[in-house]
Amino acid sequence: MKTINVCIGSACHLKGAYDVINRIELLIKEKGLGDRVTLKGAFCLGECTKAVSVRIDDGPIHSLAIKDVDNFIVEHIL
Amino acid sequence: MGYFIDFAYDTLNKKNEELCGDNIEIIETDDHFIFILADGLGSGVKANILSTMTTKIAGTMLRQGASIEQTMETIASTLPVCNVRKLAYSTFAILKISKEGKAHIVEYDSPPIFFIRDNKYLELNKKERIIQGKKILETEAQLLKGDTLVLISDGAIHAGVGGVLNLGWQWDNVGNYLINQAKIEKCAKVISKKLIDTCFFFYNEQPGDDTSTIVVRIREPEITQIFSGPPKDKKDDVRVVEQFLKGKGKKVVCGGTAANIVSRETKKEIFVDYKSGTAQVPPTARIDGIDLVTEGVITLSKVLEYMEGYLVDTHLKPSPWNSAVKDGALSLMKLLIEDSTHVHFWVGKAINPAHQNPNLPMDMSIKIQIIQKISALLEAMGKIVTIEYY
Repeated sequence: MKTINVCIGSACHLKGAYDVINRIELLIKEKGLGDRVTLKGAFCLGECTKAVSVRIDDGPIHSLAIKDVDNFIVEHIL
Repeated sequence: MGYFIDFAYDTLNKKNEELCGDNIEIIETDDHFIFILADGLGSGVKANILSTMTTKIAGTMLRQGASIEQTMETIASTLPVCNVRKLAYSTFAILKISKEGKAHIVEYDSPPIFFIRDNKYLELNKKERIIQGKKILETEAQLLKGDTLVLISDGAIHAGVGGVLNLGWQWDNVGNYLINQAKIEKCAKVISKKLIDTCFFFYNEQPGDDTSTIVVRIREPEITQIFSGPPKDKKDDVRVVEQFLKGKGKKVVCGGTAANIVSRETKKEIFVDYKSGTAQVPPTARIDGIDLVTEGVITLSKVLEYMEGYLVDTHLKPSPWNSAVKDGALSLMKLLIEDSTHVHFWVGKAINPAHQNPNLPMDMSIKIQIIQKISALLEAMGKIVTIEYY
């Protein structure tokens, strides 16, 4: 079971965290990943220059734009 | 008694008049609140002078402890006589509340005060007295928490007369309206503004008379502590969070970094309700022991935006927090307006290095200014606001 933490702090919100979360949620549903990943919001991960910050479990922080979300899921979850 | 006197007033000028013929004076002394509403004969400058003199004389004399007889006598012999009507006349109502909650009401030809307790009028045992040939009504009462007292000028009772309402709004109808508002609203300013906006509506935006109201509510003090932003010096984190948590009342954390600090110091996890986010406002979160956790600057600027529009044209406008879509800013605004009489902001002055990003479309340093603007609006609504920087 993996946990995807999406930062919803001020900077990440302005950079589109809301859309990134919605996209990930949709992909989890579409691809039936519900039993393999949990999606969680996180307050400021401290890497605001990398907005939108996304982290899997305690791994490194990735910087995602909405267009990167699909590839990210394929690469790290599937 | 441990209560808070929440009060507010609003006025409408008669159409085409620059001055209001009604006048309101509110005085706080060491042991009393004194509310005075006077309605001068006629309108415009003349009425304004009569009502202003009345409230000023009454206010000054009562503040110094003069009796009602002395005050009446002075007003009667001081007011200038109207050339047209050969009268020196201004109606007035005085509500004096001691800090122990004793009310002393004096009415002279004004519409009867609305005294609302437990969703109905309280029958007042009014005593009639003749002073200087003028009939006044006097009442003494012990106030209880939850009581609402409303003073109005006759402009409210006549609202709409001969226009949308044949006989005007009338005292009983205004009273029923106020009983309903007292049920659904907590903040005196909201009730006062709604009453005045409704009068304006009945007058078809052309008030036929000066209209004014004072709303006084006896409330339980409700304190809200808002922790926003990390301290300038990291070493202060422990101390500030400790003091914040020890503070009385409801606790709100505004800001991601602030929430992380509270979580770290209390060893309680943050749960972000990411579904509570909208495209405009980031989601809220939960920390055990904290009443509300929101993001910082975006949520606060949205609160400011909502609040600026909140008291504009309130007639028939439902409270925004009753809408289907709720966001963190609405939750925070409801807490501030409805559920707080006292608000204390703990404002951290740390510059968030992560926010020094030229790509951000918004200057993050404006948070302190936003908090100051929100404070000013809350103070205008009769709340006691304090800000502590560290």
